[in-house]
Amino acid sequence: MKTNPTEYAHPEALVDAAWLEQHANDKDVRIVESNEDILLYDTGHIPGAVHIDWRADLQDPVIRDYIAPDKFAELCSRNGITPETTCVFYGDKANWWACYALWAFRLFGHKKVKILNGGRDKWKAEGRKMTREVPKYPRTTYPVPARRMDKEIRAFADEALAQSQAKKPLIDVRSPGEYKGEITHMAEYPQEGVLRGGHIPSAKSVPWKTATNDDNTFKSAAELRKIYLEGAGVKPDVDTIVYCRIGERSSHTWFVLTYLLGLDNVRNYDGSWTEWGNKVGAPIERSA
Amino acid sequence: MRAVGLIDPITSTIMSTSVSMYPKKLQNIIDLFEHLPEVERRETLVAYSDSAPKQEPRPNEKFDLEDVRKDEECADKVGVYLQVDDEGKAHLRMTLGPEVQTLTRAMTSILCKGLEGATPQEILDLPSDFVTRIVGAELVRVRSQTTYYVLTRIKGICKVYLDRRRAAA
Repeated sequence: MKTNPTEYAHPEALVDAAWLEQHANDKDVRIVESNEDILLYDTGHIPGAVHIDWRADLQDPVIRDYIAPDKFAELCSRNGITPETTCVFYGDKANWWACYALWAFRLFGHKKVKILNGGRDKWKAEGRKMTREVPKYPRTTYPVPARRMDKEIRAFADEALAQSQAKKPLIDVRSPGEYKGEITHMAEYPQEGVLRGGHIPSAKSVPWKTATNDDNTFKSAAELRKIYLEGAGVKPDVDTIVYCRIGERSSHTWFVLTYLLGLDNVRNYDGSWTEWGNKVGAPIERSA
Repeated sequence: MRAVGLIDPITSTIMSTSVSMYPKKLQNIIDLFEHLPEVERRETLVAYSDSAPKQEPRPNEKFDLEDVRKDEECADKVGVYLQVDDEGKAHLRMTLGPEVQTLTRAMTSILCKGLEGATPQEILDLPSDFVTRIVGAELVRVRSQTTYYVLTRIKGICKVYLDRRRAAA
């Protein structure tokens, strides 16, 4: 089905390559690359793009949590970002990590965020310009956010349990093998130490990549509605929690539900399976 | 040479070894990386990654063993080709699928160049601790499987070669 961006609830949250080429040098636009492959940015990136590493830049190095607000302000300041800057995120793996970085920016209340539809692979496949030149931007003074939006867009284990017990929409975006409990981590990825396999009781399985086309762009609004609203029991008037293994793949689904389908009550349980599958006494289902 | 005890990250066994047990070419690469600031370390890894295609088999090259497969630990198919010459020295070639990550590409170049001319037994006996010294503790921490994968595959083909030699003897 051909995608018509205007059918999305927030079409402004997606940009295509032509838009990005036209606006790349706008003073209030910052292109941000975020990847799974930790050295990929160094091999070449969209001209003007800064690199934000999901682990080194966005996560606390000691406690399992995101960085504190003052560290986020410092990250933005050194990348020349202000609260008025429109950050356009893109990356490898169909923007999976780009959506994770975008979600983390939203966690700190940064409002002006967009995704480059199709991500890095599509940009490169179209033969568009790449460079190894690392841009330098004048430092800004990003004010320290007063708080993180944990309550609004993030879920914790007790909230996931309550969601499960209430049989409210709970979407497991991992691979079918992980959902069924046959494996405890995605093939080709580091085993992050999970003792039990399976899924949170009542969770529906919708692997994150179901939302993308072969060229890594997002599916049409009609297709996404069919997948999530008709197929997975997501309802606009009931809050939804999404989860995966560490909260990265589910950020992609969070973006789809929040920005493309316009649901305003979706939270990402970033503790995800590496917390749930290790948590003493946490209920687990292994049904197909 | 000073004897020290090292833990092999792949086998988790304690090995009695020495501080200068690496083949000379590999030692030179270790020495290069160990003194690089982090930014230059990344740049150098990317440069090695760029040269990974040069490690592919040349036309008409013959090998004693070929091992091409897709493992769970790696994002795409990786081929290892071993040729052992009359002097017992190993010559390695490798092929990498398009989805293979940058760090794995870099390790491919580093190991093919660093182990060129070593014997299969020397390669098999190689402690894995040098990987951290090349890649840096941070990258090893976040992508430990990626960083050790190529070495594991190379050791694997050398072990098969030596086992077959022993069986045939």
